[in-house]
Amino acid sequence: MILLYDGSFEGFLSLVYEVYYEKLQVNSIVKKMPESLLFERFHEVFTDEAKARKVLEAISKHFTKEQQRTLINIVLCDSRAYEMALLEYLRIGFKNQKELRNITNASLFFIQNLEKELLCLVHKMYGFTRFEELEDGTLYAKIETKFNIVPFLGEHFCKRLGNIPFIIHDVKRSLAFVKNDELREIRLIAAFDAPIFSSEEEKFKALWKSFFKAAAVESRYNPKLQQSWVPLLYRTYMSEFQV
Amino acid sequence: MKLTTEDKLSLLAGSAKYDVSCSSSGSENNYKTGELGCAHNSGICHSFTSDGRCVSLLKVLLTNVCIYDCAYCINRVSNDTPRTAFTPRELADLTINFYKRNYIEGLFLSSGIIKNEDHTMSLLLQTLRILRHEYRFNGYIHVKLIPGASKELIEEATLLAHRVSSNIELPSSKSLALLAPDKTKEKLLSPLKHARDISLQRSAKPISMSTQMIIGATSESDFEILKLSSALYEKALLKRVYYSAYIAVNNHKHLPVPELSKPPLLREHRLYQADWLLRFYGFSYDEILSENQNLDIQFDPKTFWALSNLHLFPIDVNHAPQEILVRIPGIGIRGTLKILQARRFKKLCFEDLVQLKISLKKARYFIIAGKDFHRSSSLYTEKIKLALIHQGANIIQPTLFDTSIYTGEL
Repeated sequence: MILLYDGSFEGFLSLVYEVYYEKLQVNSIVKKMPESLLFERFHEVFTDEAKARKVLEAISKHFTKEQQRTLINIVLCDSRAYEMALLEYLRIGFKNQKELRNITNASLFFIQNLEKELLCLVHKMYGFTRFEELEDGTLYAKIETKFNIVPFLGEHFCKRLGNIPFIIHDVKRSLAFVKNDELREIRLIAAFDAPIFSSEEEKFKALWKSFFKAAAVESRYNPKLQQSWVPLLYRTYMSEFQV
Repeated sequence: MKLTTEDKLSLLAGSAKYDVSCSSSGSENNYKTGELGCAHNSGICHSFTSDGRCVSLLKVLLTNVCIYDCAYCINRVSNDTPRTAFTPRELADLTINFYKRNYIEGLFLSSGIIKNEDHTMSLLLQTLRILRHEYRFNGYIHVKLIPGASKELIEEATLLAHRVSSNIELPSSKSLALLAPDKTKEKLLSPLKHARDISLQRSAKPISMSTQMIIGATSESDFEILKLSSALYEKALLKRVYYSAYIAVNNHKHLPVPELSKPPLLREHRLYQADWLLRFYGFSYDEILSENQNLDIQFDPKTFWALSNLHLFPIDVNHAPQEILVRIPGIGIRGTLKILQARRFKKLCFEDLVQLKISLKKARYFIIAGKDFHRSSSLYTEKIKLALIHQGANIIQPTLFDTSIYTGEL
């Protein structure tokens, strides 16, 4: 049977509820209606808060804090089809806690690797995120990443930027982490006016570029190695790579 | 002629780039509410320059004026290069502005010797004081200890910085006398020893320190170099030794000619691999090399060790303990952890290892997994060597993928 759900975390939990209580045989889980259906049975799951809450309660009873963390991390990998593996993860976890560490199971190994991939990306973006100073002193960063890592970056930069207000804007997902004196939250951003930068911004960008150029040793020139560390897709908002 | 800040930065960063140390790792999370900056335990790389090296810290000299005349150094007094200096205030402001924009993880501050050692050290400390006390900056700071500076100044440096270092430069006293007549081994090591002793008085954990050696400018063998590194690690003096392939910038009768020499990058790479074996894999220097030997160019140090110790192989991946598993060529720390985790549930065969994404390219000659072992080349050194060479030219290609265990992903 093919299951269709809306792609949200609550939606996925409702799906888990139905799989358990209506004993569904699941062959695949999709977020979008497939264009053609071949004799396959099809069922649409509607997000239901009550059902979702019930599943969430069961999860917090049966899974350790660390495993719950994993669960949430996997859901943040929104550009991957993780649903079948995550369903399997939950099934195994409800049956036998200890079995969850068995990486010879393909689904569990997939989950472990996907989480690693997410944390890798988070670590990279701790370094590659670039802020620009706006007129009012707010620091503003644009990002485009394959997974939703805004929560991680928000927490990370709250620790480092002290009292400076900042915004991390995930352009593709239209999400932003906003932090200033009054608030600290993730919100949806429908439209965003082109920001006005502080008068010093260009100066520091130029200084950074000349530092970046001066720090390279010519006789060790190795652009291939450079590209393996900073693949092109990360470079969009990194000023040192803009001509 | 007055230089702009941009010119100064280019000049002083250009003079500092030959220092290879860039790590910002190993410091506890020191976050304080409302204050700027915080160290990150695994270190963070913020960019990579066109030579493939990471940019983690704003690595600059306070000044490239120097009273010394070390043959290998671009800033030696007898070189005719433009000289300039930052004021401590200028540099502190630059650091804060770079940090805010997340360009850097902190500051790496070094300097040529201006006037004398104490004067130079106090200029460095003044920069650090502005950052720490005035801006309440908690980000990573690495400062060079100036050999010959007074003990009080060195003590203050250990209080202000996350890491201090002093470069040994060359692996033996003989080479130092030849190329850096103003420096002796004792003079270079004494600030490190002093910094360790006073930081040990304050807490059980000494301040983290590193040093750098230039490779290929003089005639020392890899054995001597590794022996020295391992002695420095054992005395808990240092966290890291960096190896820097000699890049010819000056003409000197005792040095390779700039136009004819290329930096010995592969040798540097092999030394780092061996260094990793010392620090993370439980090898000792005399296991890796014997007296006056150099590291093999064709094979990495672990494979080379395995080939000369075939009586210890094959290793059974289903039973061998962790410290033995990490000694299998081609299986690293991560692979070992995966094997340990997986074999509690199942007896592993070759196919399981492949499923776990553990490369068998090298490892297959050295292991038994259940009923599986490599049948077609039995355990003879020459046969395995041939097999390893034939399966691809990329065995000897220097890539630094090993560093991934140090970038915090583990």
